[in-house]
Amino acid sequence: MSVAISVTGLVKTFGPTRALDGLDLEVATGEVHGFLGPNGSGKSTTIRVLLGLLRPDSGAVRLLDGDPWDDAVALHRRLAYVPGDVTLWPQLTGGEAIDLLGRLRGGIDPARRSELLDRFDLDPTKKSRSYSKGNRQKVALVAALASDAELLILDEPTSGLDPLMEAVFQEYIREVRAQGRTVLLSSHILAEAEALCDRVSIIRHGRTVQSGSLDELRHLTRTSIAVETARPVTGLESLSGVHDAARSNGQVRFDVDTDQLDSVLRHLTGFGVRSLRSAPPTLEELFLRHYGDELAEDGVPVPALDRP
Amino acid sequence: MSLTRPALGGTGTLVRFALRRDRIRLPVWIVVGAALVAEQSLGSQALYDTPAALAAYRATVGTSAAAIAFSGPPVGLTTVAGAVAFEISGSVMIVAALMAMFTTGRHSRADEEAGRTELVRSTEVGRHAPLVAAVAVSALACVALALAIGGVATLTGLPARGSFLLGAGVGACGLVFTGVTAAAAQLSESTRAAYGITGAVLGVAFLLRAVGDINGSGLVWASPIGWAQAVHPFSDDRWWPLLLCIGAAGALLAVAVALLDHRDLGAGLLSGRPGAPTAGRLLASPLGLAVRLQRAALLAWAVSLAVLGAVYGGMGDAVEGLFKNNPNAQAFFPGASAAGLVEAYLATIFSIDALLAAAFAVSSVLRARSEESAGRAEPVLATATSRTAWLRSHVAVALLGSALLVVASGAATALVRAAAIGDAGSFGRLFAASLAYVPAVWVLAGVAVAAVGALPRAAAALAWGMVGYVVIVTVFGPGLNWPGWVNDLSPFSWTPLVPVESWTAVAAVGLTAAVVALLAVGFGAFRRRDLSTG
Repeated sequence: MSVAISVTGLVKTFGPTRALDGLDLEVATGEVHGFLGPNGSGKSTTIRVLLGLLRPDSGAVRLLDGDPWDDAVALHRRLAYVPGDVTLWPQLTGGEAIDLLGRLRGGIDPARRSELLDRFDLDPTKKSRSYSKGNRQKVALVAALASDAELLILDEPTSGLDPLMEAVFQEYIREVRAQGRTVLLSSHILAEAEALCDRVSIIRHGRTVQSGSLDELRHLTRTSIAVETARPVTGLESLSGVHDAARSNGQVRFDVDTDQLDSVLRHLTGFGVRSLRSAPPTLEELFLRHYGDELAEDGVPVPALDRP
Repeated sequence: MSLTRPALGGTGTLVRFALRRDRIRLPVWIVVGAALVAEQSLGSQALYDTPAALAAYRATVGTSAAAIAFSGPPVGLTTVAGAVAFEISGSVMIVAALMAMFTTGRHSRADEEAGRTELVRSTEVGRHAPLVAAVAVSALACVALALAIGGVATLTGLPARGSFLLGAGVGACGLVFTGVTAAAAQLSESTRAAYGITGAVLGVAFLLRAVGDINGSGLVWASPIGWAQAVHPFSDDRWWPLLLCIGAAGALLAVAVALLDHRDLGAGLLSGRPGAPTAGRLLASPLGLAVRLQRAALLAWAVSLAVLGAVYGGMGDAVEGLFKNNPNAQAFFPGASAAGLVEAYLATIFSIDALLAAAFAVSSVLRARSEESAGRAEPVLATATSRTAWLRSHVAVALLGSALLVVASGAATALVRAAAIGDAGSFGRLFAASLAYVPAVWVLAGVAVAAVGALPRAAAALAWGMVGYVVIVTVFGPGLNWPGWVNDLSPFSWTPLVPVESWTAVAAVGLTAAVVALLAVGFGAFRRRDLSTG
């Protein structure tokens, strides 16, 4: 497996603030990698280091087999970037901004450009000052997607798009992956990461807390079970791996550590299972496991993970 | 719809908030306006201290078409006070108009363009409140400026009645341009366009009164500046022309409110025309982008400086006549001899043109910093554009643009002067002389580049602080007994007073070396540091 992005032990401080605190990130060539974390966790700072806009304090960073600081210009020819907060030149039209950014990167495919404008329903003749946040984001997206860059670095690219446009975006990302290109997609929209990403890295407070494919991460989390049995279930709480069991109207709901699923199901069949529903953990749950304690510390009630 | 209570809800709160936001800006405008009048008052009283000197002034400047075009109607020149009003009222009225334009625009269209008005209007604030509050703040500033001018003019020894009338004329001119800006802000969705419209009205108003004053026609009555100057302070002392200004300001405000009722929030009445769907050939490099971003400003500066240069050149004759009759004036122009009074005058003019060109150069370099802090440098530097190439583009526009400004003003001055004395040969000599300041202008640009590279957050303050320092040393330095190093720190002090003194290669080479060193510091630091936004 060749590696597009490799970051180990990255530290970046701004005065007293430690924005990145030993962050690790590895993105394989050809994968769509989700870069997840709440606001302020260090996603944009990491991306700016990858682009050579910020100089790291310590740690090793490799991007497309180059050094992002020393080889910035050569590397930038091979990548396209969509900033999280797109600001454009108010007096330029969207079409002019797209062409400018495309040309500065080394060229733009006119046919693909016009197809993207059409699909994203963007009017290129309007001055940038009159664009909404979503339209400014579309300008950056069209400029990036119209390129043939081998690596796309997208910082929360859909935060201003409506669901229809988000679907168009997902379609293009799948196309990019099918072409064997690499995508680093930062997001806090979990459904998007679940829909698109081969692997994800979850960061918090400038540190990577978990990394792997969604399947791998699911091993670390729990499955929700709702079961109806002929006879009342006993002894459930004493089984290892069972959490938050609750009974109502002859139904039992609980969460179970995924690696204990088999033994728990064996236990249940002894009571005459009438119906059983199970749901795999969503990324929301992965997130809540990593940030739930933080929310609780801040006095925010953590929602119970119950689903039908 | 007319102004009603619910539509005006929250106006008082918005006025207080705007005054708080402008607690530094407005006092600066007012102090600058009052200081111009005070300086002119003290300077004129020292220069024209005898009836003979004043008579000479009347006979020369008072009959010079260029001086009248630049200043106003030549009335009341039998007293020093009248001469003060003649010399300064035009300039300070432009200051008042600009203060009114920026204050009104900042609190109306600029807030709306940035989306702040939307947030404010979602609270218990009426539809007309933001506009009326902006107009009220600007009007308060005009009244304060009027009182400040009246006060300082009286304190410097001018008759109180005329002093306050002079102030009232200036304030009334500001009121008219408050109304013009309020109406212009309804027309376009961009603040820059609103300023452009207001600036054009100001330019036309100045032109109409200049032509009207020169040929003594009624054309001055087509210009709000003409109305404001028609009070004739210290001579006729008329109050009634002020009513024209106040009436016009009120009518413009009514128009603005009516226009406001016919448009959506954030929109303009002149809907933005569709622009180019694809970029032209210019927008293919960082330099092309820098040129595109700055060409409109550069063009406006070049035209303004060329017009200014031509007017200054045309005043050469009046200066000659004046100085022949008033030896006191020689003290104002260092290095003057009986033969070279006009040359000394032109040397001063060239240094003032160069200071203006330096102001452009600094604002142009700082454009790079504002691109960076607004987050617009980031997407460009994420392409195959090196930091050096990006910064070099903005610096190139600053250096070549400021040189172009020096050329435009110097050529205009030299051309008009050469035509006036009927000596084609003097054109080349004067034009070459004006170019002597280019290295000094570039040193100031270099200071800005070094600051943007090494101390980005303080860059604007440092660069403009240096410009202010150089202005003070250049304009007031010769008359004041400061220690030598105070003068030596200004690059303008190292430039010979051409055409009075002769150009020296040593000074030019030394200044150019300083430019190179400052650019090296700036580029070196910019390559090594983090990009900083916000």
